Amino acid sequence: MSTIPRILSIVALALLWLTLSTLFPPTIVPGPVPVVKAMLQNIQSGQAFYHIYKTLLRVVFGLILTMILGVAAGTIMGLYRKGEAFLDAWVTVGLTVPAIVYSIICLLWFGLNDRAAILAIGISAFPTVAISMWQGIKGIDVSLVSMANAFHIPKPAIVRKIIFPQLVPHLLGAMRYALGICWKICTTVELIGMSSGVGYMMNYWFGLFSMTQVFAWTLSFLLVMFAIEYLLFKPIENRLTRWRSGLTVPLVAQ
Amino acid sequence: MAFGTHGTAGSAVSTIQLRNVSKDFILPDGKALPVLESVSFEIAPQTFNSILGPSGCGKSTILNLIAGLDRRFSGDISLSMPAGSKAEQPRIGFVFQQPRLLNWRTVIENVELPLEQEAGERKARQALARKYLALVGLSGYETYYPLQLSGGMQQRAAIARALVIEPDVLLMDEPFSGLDEITARKMRSELMRIWQETGKTILFVTHSISESVFLSQQILIVSRRPATIFKRLLIDLPYPRQYGDARLFEIETNLMRDFLGMEE
Repeated sequence: MSTIPRILSIVALALLWLTLSTLFPPTIVPGPVPVVKAMLQNIQSGQAFYHIYKTLLRVVFGLILTMILGVAAGTIMGLYRKGEAFLDAWVTVGLTVPAIVYSIICLLWFGLNDRAAILAIGISAFPTVAISMWQGIKGIDVSLVSMANAFHIPKPAIVRKIIFPQLVPHLLGAMRYALGICWKICTTVELIGMSSGVGYMMNYWFGLFSMTQVFAWTLSFLLVMFAIEYLLFKPIENRLTRWRSGLTVPLVAQ
Repeated sequence: MAFGTHGTAGSAVSTIQLRNVSKDFILPDGKALPVLESVSFEIAPQTFNSILGPSGCGKSTILNLIAGLDRRFSGDISLSMPAGSKAEQPRIGFVFQQPRLLNWRTVIENVELPLEQEAGERKARQALARKYLALVGLSGYETYYPLQLSGGMQQRAAIARALVIEPDVLLMDEPFSGLDEITARKMRSELMRIWQETGKTILFVTHSISESVFLSQQILIVSRRPATIFKRLLIDLPYPRQYGDARLFEIETNLMRDFLGMEE
């Protein structure tokens, strides 16, 4: 059903790129053919694997840190009124301060290493996860908990069988969103303070004014992110939200 | 508020007995709002009973106290088994106004939920769940998800979930009030049949006079808050009862008059 629009959207994007590349000189908008060629060269030389691996490593550990911080903060805010009052300002500050500030501070404090990068990523993305978790806990259907009490279901089982499944969609949504943020911050950190990774290569080719390579690196990372989305996140989400899939109520009359 | 006693009375004639049960809700400003005032009644084993009263009068509170979901009350509630049975305390199944199913579980997994904490094979659990799904007329819908079913079918699944623990007592809190009248009528007739097949002791809360008259052997009429038993009515008519029966209609009319009298 939705495969055709998906393919169409990718084709449309490629066509738009092709059109723009004929209108502008290759130093501004390089065409798809040279970009893909450059990308293949990067892959052949092994450079692509090394730098994408470095970036992914930072993104994954940053994401793990973000999820730990965000879930912890969101749970405290969701469960305790005092915790909400205490952490509310932190989350607001976290959301307002630009990620570049954390990046610079972390790099200055911890040096130009992976630890600083991961910390900067983790701190920048956690407020989004915290808010999502907080809302998820506020939205728990308490009537299901009292149902479980009426059937004498023990507390740990209530958490596992009644509460956790209600939080899963929120967690999954937060994780996908956080992944996007983490990757953006990671490239920024790499650009200003790392000597490896996709962001570093962008900076390198930017210095050499090679638009083709900037495009090539963007495209290769995009492909990796697409693979993560469609081979990892989508299947997990479909598996976990199967119970909604049988619904055939169209929002728009067809 | 003093804690009431909530216990077993060994073998007795009645399954559920309430003596002078009172309860206050504590409002946020610290004031006490009396909800129940000296409620006393007895429920005989294997009978169909209803608590009838206006909305918001504390009927559901009575069920919560009997189920042990709320222990803050004064007075005395005792649950007992008929003489000769092995178990000390009757098992209680609960059906709520809304189905309260877990939407992410299939129908059969929902019915299995209360069994999962007990020892026993998965196969045996499933067999039991299947048996009660068949009893409520949901055979063939085991692998559906709740949101794929109509409201009436969801409530049937909730009834199967309450029956699957093989309870001695079934507490039902306005279970059909969210359904359209035609579905509700069907469900009442089926509940009648299930009750006669299984011999449960049923305590059914409702605000509908005709529903309580159609279903019950004993009706406990509750006054407005603070709730107290205003009148006890026994209906000695055979089952299965028919809609439109003149004798039922007469009882309903008298009950309506009582209600209007109570309001004054």
